[in-house]
Amino acid sequence: MQSFILAGGFATRLWPLTERRAKPLLPVAGIPLLSTLVGQIPGAVPVTVSTNAAFADDFKQWKKSVGKSDVRIIIEDAGHEDQKLGALGAVAQWITSENIDDDLLLLAGDNYVGCSMATFLAKFHGNPLIAGHDIADPEAAKAFGTIVLSSTLPSPGSPAGPGGGGGGGDTVTSFEEKPEHPKSTIVSTGWWVLPKSVLPILVDYSKAHPDNVGGIFEELLKRTIPVECFVFKELWKDIGSFESYMSLHCDVVNGAKIINPSATVSPDSELQESIDLGPKTRVNKSVLRNCIAFGKSTITDCVLDRCIIDEDCVLEGVDLTDKMLRRGTILRRR
Amino acid sequence: MRRVVLLTCWLATDAILFIGTYTLAYFIRVGLILSTDFPIDLYLRTVLAVAPMWLATLTALGVFELTTIQGSRRNILHMFAGAIIGLAFFTLAYYFTNNLFFSRLLLVYAGVLSFVVPLIWHLAFDQWQRRIYRKLPAAYPLLIIGINREAERFIKLLEEKQSPFRPVGILDPQGSSQKDVAGIPVLGKLNKLEEVVKSLKPTHLMQCSNLEHTINLMSVCRQHRMTYLLLPSVLGVVGAGETVESIEGQNVLAVKGR
Repeated sequence: MQSFILAGGFATRLWPLTERRAKPLLPVAGIPLLSTLVGQIPGAVPVTVSTNAAFADDFKQWKKSVGKSDVRIIIEDAGHEDQKLGALGAVAQWITSENIDDDLLLLAGDNYVGCSMATFLAKFHGNPLIAGHDIADPEAAKAFGTIVLSSTLPSPGSPAGPGGGGGGGDTVTSFEEKPEHPKSTIVSTGWWVLPKSVLPILVDYSKAHPDNVGGIFEELLKRTIPVECFVFKELWKDIGSFESYMSLHCDVVNGAKIINPSATVSPDSELQESIDLGPKTRVNKSVLRNCIAFGKSTITDCVLDRCIIDEDCVLEGVDLTDKMLRRGTILRRR
Repeated sequence: MRRVVLLTCWLATDAILFIGTYTLAYFIRVGLILSTDFPIDLYLRTVLAVAPMWLATLTALGVFELTTIQGSRRNILHMFAGAIIGLAFFTLAYYFTNNLFFSRLLLVYAGVLSFVVPLIWHLAFDQWQRRIYRKLPAAYPLLIIGINREAERFIKLLEEKQSPFRPVGILDPQGSSQKDVAGIPVLGKLNKLEEVVKSLKPTHLMQCSNLEHTINLMSVCRQHRMTYLLLPSVLGVVGAGETVESIEGQNVLAVKGR
């Protein structure tokens, strides 16, 4: 098996945090999201990370820090969103150029999946496999690929009920990418396994739909190829916005105080709920609640609630709520 | 650089006009002779000394500001106030230095002329300097953030009024599919901000939407020495008489209820 991580997005909704940093490299509980993902991949499976030219150096730097030798970074020649190959296009190009003839573990680099990858992979028995999660919210499901399972189809005479995914593998009866009227609240979570037999279909499909990863499953079902789904109940987040990133932070850190050894917090400061302070962050006389500071920032006499602070910021005497601050922001109250 | 040259020209021509209008007032009152009772050299020396004070008054009243509309009622009143203050300076200076009384009618002529002539000149000069500022590359390239009807109205207003602030591009945080707004190209989302700032070198940035980005847009402006501007509609202030006021030295945005 080969693994391929999609990390070529520009994450424009997370601007300014992603101005100079790819979304998969955002820290969650002090560790880049991508490191957590790679750490879950079985040791024998080689890892290829696909990114774009804009973030190439960051990924090369990250590679040095990850404790896995068989990691390869491939750079999509795109400096901007409008020059992108598309996620599926990037996979297809890699399959073609590297003559990949192996089962493929395809992973979205910006998704946090709380379940064990070993458990997920144990469900792979030769058919395409999707990791699904029941978000129990039909409105929210409109933004994702939704999965209808044979076990959730209403039997004749019983009331129809979207969602209600079970806890094990099941056969997928339909897959819809970002549907207007979701038939299910079980959504695709960014973990997929594709057997080598379907890779030519993927390459072919990507020519017309280079950015529709979920669409490949619609295509497989259309060709009557059985697709299976492993529904897990653990935490799952797609980091696409400030709200989802903050929510993931609160869920994963769960009230803990993660303070890098080189960070300092003065005794008259107060850290409340989930806090993640990166290297060389200095907090003086401040109150922080549910905050992430990437590092090298100085926070003095501030009250910050649900804030994400990029590197090299200087904050003095300000109160902020629900803010993302770009690198190098200086806010001093005069 | 264009601003420095034009402002210097403007101040110099204003000084010449001030002296000229007072000289004209002298000859209207005295006639086309050089009176020995009321020597012109003493008179002109005083006018010359007062001219910088008149210019300083107009500057303090914001008459030469780039954002001032020369034909506006407010500016006309400021120029009128400037003419009165100039006249007062002249009267006091002449009396204190020469200890002589002179014609009250001359003061009326000088006051009227030093208000009307510079005002006409300002209206003409403003039209001319707008064209100079807008010549490409624009002296004040303006980057617009956000696409909505308020942004479109603002762009059209700047074009219609031939404003010195010339929109050069738009970035839309929502990723609009529009290619342009009122002829101004849409260059992408905010992730292109750094690149756009480096390539177009805007001197001003106008935020027209997405209040949540205010701090970060200001941060970009500070780093690149740009002036940050905010359309009041971003705060929900539409069609109201909003002003920036000061309460005990603290600046506040005031919207008066009507």
